[in-house]
Amino acid sequence: MITQHPDISTLMAFSAGTLDEPYALVISTHVAMCEACQEGVRRTDRIGGAALSGEAGVAMSDGARLRLLAALDADDAIVVKSPVEVSEMPVPLRRYLPYGLSSIRWRANGPGVATRDLPVSPGVKSRLMLLKVAAGRRVPEHSHGGQELTLILQGAYKDRFGIFATGDIADHDEDVEHQPIAEPGEDCICLVAVDAKLNFRSRLIRLLQPLFGM
Amino acid sequence: MLTATMSQIPPQPPTGPLPADDLAKLIERVATLRDREALAKLFDIFAPKLKAIMLRHGANSAMAEDLAQETLLVVWRKAHLYSAQRGAVSTWIFTIARNLRIDHLRRQSNRPYEDLEGVEIASDAPGGDRIVEENQIVDRVTLAIRTLSKEQQDVVRLSFIEDIPHSEIATRVGIPLGTVKSRLRLAYERLRPMLEDLQ
Repeated sequence: MITQHPDISTLMAFSAGTLDEPYALVISTHVAMCEACQEGVRRTDRIGGAALSGEAGVAMSDGARLRLLAALDADDAIVVKSPVEVSEMPVPLRRYLPYGLSSIRWRANGPGVATRDLPVSPGVKSRLMLLKVAAGRRVPEHSHGGQELTLILQGAYKDRFGIFATGDIADHDEDVEHQPIAEPGEDCICLVAVDAKLNFRSRLIRLLQPLFGM
Repeated sequence: MLTATMSQIPPQPPTGPLPADDLAKLIERVATLRDREALAKLFDIFAPKLKAIMLRHGANSAMAEDLAQETLLVVWRKAHLYSAQRGAVSTWIFTIARNLRIDHLRRQSNRPYEDLEGVEIASDAPGGDRIVEENQIVDRVTLAIRTLSKEQQDVVRLSFIEDIPHSEIATRVGIPLGTVKSRLRLAYERLRPMLEDLQ
């Protein structure tokens, strides 16, 4: 049961298409898992439809219409919907993580904490990463210098905002401080989008240094 | 031959939104009859609007026209996949154009959006009536946007039409990011009765 959803302003940015790829992927993966947000995006998309519909328009050049019709002659590709394979991985994430969660080569970032960057399009300025916190472990208290979206893919964690379990999303603005603790029983694995200016890994290490003498 | 016939249809000047059921009929004719004249009408309605928003996104005139053309070509290819679940015709065309723009202008992958289309959404009322209804909803939202406060209209416009990320809107308007978001939330609240079709 998903109980934590993105802020409506984040769904609006998703519909508008202004989110960087890592953020758009975290949102689309959550939406693939969450019926309420499927309805939510349908609503925020309507704002886009209404905005387009209300545009005055700029005249197309002469012949543009004929060029389109000529293009139809040259193109009779009909898009066939490919069947979605059954998999535990939400559809949008599969392309970024084709071999599933079990195949990840983690990079240790301190006791009980590991990360892994996922590749995004060249030129994208924010980061997409996986974060794993061992069951029962605590992530040192940290704040965010920019928007941070965290989607729980496995396990759960608890912080002052509540319990975040599989499918839940934490949508934090900058200036939010929190100290997540992974729930006992299972490692907590999250998909995280962060502003690249703030290197989450080095921030973590910086935070962990005094605590663990790294 | 068909092309020659089509050229005799005089291009229509950009107009306001067509009645909702007309738009729904056009898309249906493209899907079921492969009706090129219906696509040409959708082109007349939407290509100038698409060109206008692509120009605002920083495309030059030629590229803005190409993206408008390409959007209509995708409409032609995918018309049979269109359903009320995709929203009104204008909403569906907006999302196609958005995905092309992410790919061409932002140079990012639009796969997170494309892949999500494959996720089937349960719908209890497919078919023609629902499509007409969706188009009516969006017509009401179009009118309702004009009743928002100027501040709210500005942030909606900068985000949805001008393709500017929230953080950059904050810089441009000279307000904190939190204020951009709260204005958007307020705008959503004002539009909520239409967006959620509670009327």
